Amino acid sequence: MDLAWYALLGLFFAGYLVLAGYDYGVGLLLARGVGPAGRRETLTALGPFFLGNEVWLVAAMGILFGAFPLLEGELLAGCYPAVVGALVGVILVTVGVQLRSRPSDERIRARWDRVVMIGSALAALGWGVVLAAMWQGVPLGADGHVAGVTHLATPFAAAAGLAMVTLVAVHGAAFLALRLSAEAAAEAARTARRLVPVALTTVAVATVVGLLSARVRDTVQRPALAVLLPVLLVAALLAARAALTRRRPGLALVATGAALALPVVLVGAALWPYVLVSTTDPDASLAVADAAASTPTLRLLGWVALPLLPALLGFQAMCWWVFRGRTDGRAPVYW
Amino acid sequence: MDTLLLARLQFATTTSIHFLFVVVTLGLVTLLVGMQTAWVLTGNPKWERLTRYWGQLYVINYVLGIATGIVMEFQFGLNWSGLSRYVGNVFGAPLAIETLVAFFLESTFLGMWIFGWHRLRKSVHLALLWGVAITAYASAFWIMVANSWLQNPVGYEVRDGIAHLTDFGALLTNPSLSMALGHVVSAALLVGGMLMAAVSAGHLIRRTPDFEFFRTSLRIGLVTAALAISMVQSFGFAQFDPVGSVQPTKFGGNGPESQALIAEWTTRFGPGDYTPPVLASVGLGFMILIGFTLGCVWLLLPLLFRDWIIRLRFPLWLILFALPLPFVAVILGWIAREVGRQPWVAYGLLPTEQAVSPVGAPLMLASLIGFSLLLGTLAVTNWVLLARHAMRGAADPALGRPPAAPSEPAHPEPALL
Ligand code: HDD
Ligand code: HEM
Ligand code: HEM
Repeated sequence: MDLAWYALLGLFFAGYLVLAGYDYGVGLLLARGVGPAGRRETLTALGPFFLGNEVWLVAAMGILFGAFPLLEGELLAGCYPAVVGALVGVILVTVGVQLRSRPSDERIRARWDRVVMIGSALAALGWGVVLAAMWQGVPLGADGHVAGVTHLATPFAAAAGLAMVTLVAVHGAAFLALRLSAEAAAEAARTARRLVPVALTTVAVATVVGLLSARVRDTVQRPALAVLLPVLLVAALLAARAALTRRRPGLALVATGAALALPVVLVGAALWPYVLVSTTDPDASLAVADAAASTPTLRLLGWVALPLLPALLGFQAMCWWVFRGRTDGRAPVYW
Repeated sequence: MDTLLLARLQFATTTSIHFLFVVVTLGLVTLLVGMQTAWVLTGNPKWERLTRYWGQLYVINYVLGIATGIVMEFQFGLNWSGLSRYVGNVFGAPLAIETLVAFFLESTFLGMWIFGWHRLRKSVHLALLWGVAITAYASAFWIMVANSWLQNPVGYEVRDGIAHLTDFGALLTNPSLSMALGHVVSAALLVGGMLMAAVSAGHLIRRTPDFEFFRTSLRIGLVTAALAISMVQSFGFAQFDPVGSVQPTKFGGNGPESQALIAEWTTRFGPGDYTPPVLASVGLGFMILIGFTLGCVWLLLPLLFRDWIIRLRFPLWLILFALPLPFVAVILGWIAREVGRQPWVAYGLLPTEQAVSPVGAPLMLASLIGFSLLLGTLAVTNWVLLARHAMRGAADPALGRPPAAPSEPAHPEPALL
């Protein structure tokens, strides 16, 4: 049962990065100099999906608290600055996107758009660092607490954070290539293709720094899976580029989405049976089974979640279906 | 300043801001459901206009509800990791259920509702709003289940110092829950009704050309507020009974039960100060004062006859000036409930000081200042936007604007924002 819940946690967090990832990518791409009308069109592309994307994070946190209480306390408090950074980013994006069009003064709107850009960068950076913290282990003591927060300040964490920012940027561009009206979409596809080498570079840097780091090497329980991550990331990015060249933005979006889901899936698999590996005291490492809530709680949550899951995913699918297709002059404009 | 105090201050500040927004969400969504249902049933465009105007204010208000809610959710893990460590098995369950049952669907529905005008069939569009409202109430229910468990822990057993769930049903029949839930929901309706009445009063004072529109809104708001204040009072007084029996030390309780409980705690947890700060009783007193004052809304109802309330004008001013009162009262009420629970996070089970995360005081201070400033600024910005949109009137809200119409004036009209 622990494994099933762990998988569900992974599903929701990966789902969040894939879906909100393009929100943040689109947020970053507001910087690409398309003028007020272009920026509004960019946000209209997010339109009805925006609210439904971010709530995957809320659900992931709910599962984390309900099914893995011990992990939630140690992971969040143990990575305090990174989590706060991500959180501030999430808030800035959510508020900025929803409020930017309420004033009609274009200067105020442009200011809000900057808030969205900063928020998007912070959110991506923050989650990249949190994932890096898991990859490189945390100083978990015998008392079960993570000691201090300086363990976050490593070159690997910085490189992983940057890599995450570039990955969401590519992902956002692929999304725009799929959603915008034909002409603007072609421009977005060009942007996406140009961003792929940038993302490849940051992924390569993070890989090299990670391989050189003794902490990362010691933390990983299954090195084969860890090495698979950069390989698959590169493959996904190249696939996205190829799909964009062949004018298949849908496929490209799937590929960039996979690139955002992979770090979550593989960190879970590569650390298994642990979820937090201690860098100071091997016996203090937190195993998934120990982090999980006790059986009655998991069983109760199972009874709630099992029948609900199809409804949750079904209504999200309904949203995607109803509002599918490119945004044109008749698309509802609100953000 | 120690970490504990800073963490408590941060929780108090951020939840208070959260609640100021969600209380409006809960109240307005109920009224919106009524208005949009009336539109779909009667086809009268007046109801469509009402839904769009109040819906726009609702959606703007909602933004901060989400933003602050996400902070709340993270705060448990960031600042109160002891809570998840010792009681997470029980306390986490209702919170997890809330996110899956309520929030996930609520946001999905709301996104479709905002963008679904002129795109979805009217009945489907209405169903979405019903979905938003039902899930909003569900979220209030589950969060109150969680909070009531902190007030009065039930349905658990402690093994190796950690609470494990034994009886989930007990969480749902918790004596701390039912009356409090009724009180909170009626408070939300009161806030929604008062807000609607006050905004309408503002327009009527300025002799709006949209007279019919705001006259209807004023009536709906005032009647809702009157019914709700009576419910608030009834549920409020009904709370004293359960509070007295499960939390004898609350509100200056000093009877034999309270003495016995403190003696028991002293043997189990060692000597200490087990009486909550007086702030709780102060909050309670002023809330009740406001509650009685607002009861006067009933006196305004007869003036609805022949629009005397509008012709006399001064009642409109009264309504406008009374608008802050229910907001102040909800914060006072929560201070009463939460401060009155001290020094326990989970009453009689987990002392607050054991729940706080082992983070350094400087980090906690930075977090407190940062989040207070961030959320405070966003809250004020949001209220300014709300006020401007409320004042702008119901001529053409962006929400539900037909796509064919010019979506934005090319150059902004100077007088309106
Ligand atoms: C519009 C707001 C409002 C108004 C006018 C009142 N209340 Fe209230 N009260 C709340 C809004 C509120 C609240 C914010 O919703 C609280 C906080 C927690 C809760 O359950 O409801 C609350 C808590 C609360 C509690 C604390 C329960 C506990 O500690 O567990 C009591 C005893 C009362 N109320 C009683 C009253 C009485 C007797 C009122 C007046 C006649 C009254 N309230 C008016
Ligand atoms: C939204 C309305 C709420 C408001 C305004 C509110 C207010 C407060 C205040 C003033 C405190 C500080 C008390 C003190 O330390 O003296 C506090 C603490 C706390 N509240 Fe609430 N509360 C609300 C809802 C909730 C709910 C629904 C929960 C649980 C699900 C909750 C859980 C906590 C916790 C864990 C603390 C910190 C530990 C403590 O001080 O006991 N609160 N809240
Ligand atoms: C202190 C504990 C609380 C936590 C952890 C919490 C958590 C959250 C979260 C995460 C959201 C955002 C959901 C989304 O993304 O859609 C939210 C929104 C909401 N909360 Fe809270 N909340 C708390 C207290 C309360 C209380 C006391 C109430 C009312 C009784 C309440 C009612 C709502 C409602 C109705 C919404 C959705 C509407 C909106 O965003 O304005 N919450 N809350």
